[in-house]
Order: sequence, then structure tokens, then C-alpha cells
Amino acid sequence: MSSAQVTDSTFKHEVLESEVPVLVDFWAPWCGPCRMVAPVVDEISEQYEGQIKVVKVNTDENPSVASQYGIRSIPTLMIFKGGQRVDMVVGAVPKTTLANTLEKYL
Amino acid sequence: MTSLTKPTQASDKSLEIMRNFAQSYAKRTGTYFCSDPGVTAVVIEGLAKHKDDLGAPLCPCRHYEDKEAEVKATFWNCPCVPMQERKECHCMLFLTPDNPFAGDQQDIGFETIRTETNKY
Repeated sequence: MSSAQVTDSTFKHEVLESEVPVLVDFWAPWCGPCRMVAPVVDEISEQYEGQIKVVKVNTDENPSVASQYGIRSIPTLMIFKGGQRVDMVVGAVPKTTLANTLEKYL
Repeated sequence: MTSLTKPTQASDKSLEIMRNFAQSYAKRTGTYFCSDPGVTAVVIEGLAKHKDDLGAPLCPCRHYEDKEAEVKATFWNCPCVPMQERKECHCMLFLTPDNPFAGDQQDIGFETIRTETNKY
């Protein structure tokens, strides 16, 4: 299962107002490591189904939200809880790294 | 669902220029392409697309407030300053041999690149 795409206009509702923690994958179309981390993000989405929400933001198409959160290097994986950014990891990280970071906010 | 819109590929001309650059730069710096050719292909396509759109191969693994201004600043034009100074390529195009993701190739075919990037 692939995660839903979120846009500049839906970010507030889908991420900031979410009842559960949200993992946001900031990616761009021709970014190699983004392609590498995408299946890891999808696995995480399945593993924590019901506990977290997982969404993706195409930074080329949604520059406002990417700039608002100071996205520079991509992929950047950001965790939001209660409308606040609580953590992030940058680059194509292994699944265990991402899972360990997430576990802190469940 | 991956993306709603299929990403636009670069021109064949720019892709060939960037493919040749990547091969010669890897050999010159003793670095290797990723063991997953999909990563290499996507990055070369991204560099070539930026060359088409902006006139310079701006790194496709960064988000910029203003791409035109970044091209003029040159820091993130490939090969970027971190690569030139410390062989750091966070795009994973040029990997030092000790990197666990490094493969044993310094060449990639034009058709291999398009076979990979046609998937998206």
C-alpha cells in the first residue's frame, strides 16, 4: 500500500489536525535516495497501521509547506504529533532507524 | 498511488551530457555508482532535467526557495562543494568504496537510465 500524497492546501487538515502521530515523507521526483526510502516508508505504514498516519509531500509541487518546515536535503522524514513537529530524520535511513525514532511518539 | 502527475524526463541531449559527466567524474574521484542502478538513473535524470530547465545541473536531492538563485550561487551545482571538498554526495550518485550502498560500476548505459526512469 502506498501512502497518500498531501499538498500545501491539505497539509493543515491531514497532518496538523491529525488525531494520531503523522510521518511525513518530503520527496522530489528525480531524487535517488527518495526512491530508495519510499518502500521503507510504505512498510512502516503497514507495520504501524492504526497507530500512525503516513503521508508524502512532493516538495516541487508544494513549496509552501516545504519552505515552512525548512526542508533542505531530501528525502526528509518528519514526525508530527499534536500539530507540532517533534522529530526528523534526513536521508535514506534503514527501516530500524525510522521505526526506533517513531516508537518514541506512539 | 505514487504521484498524481508523471514527472517529466530530461531531453536526450542533456541526459547524455550528464551521463558522460557522471561516468568520468566517478572515475576521476575513485567513487562508484550505487549498487541499485535505479538510484543512479533517477539522479542523472534529475541533473539533466535541471540542466534543461535552469541551465545548470542543480542537485535534485535538495529543496530550494529559488532554483534560479541557487544556480547562480553555484554551491549545489553538480559536482557540489561538499562532493568536491569531502566526497560527500547525499544524492548517492558518487559513493566512496567504503559506503555500504556502493556498487562496482562507474558506467551506466543511456538505455539503462531510461528503463529505470520510465517506471515513474
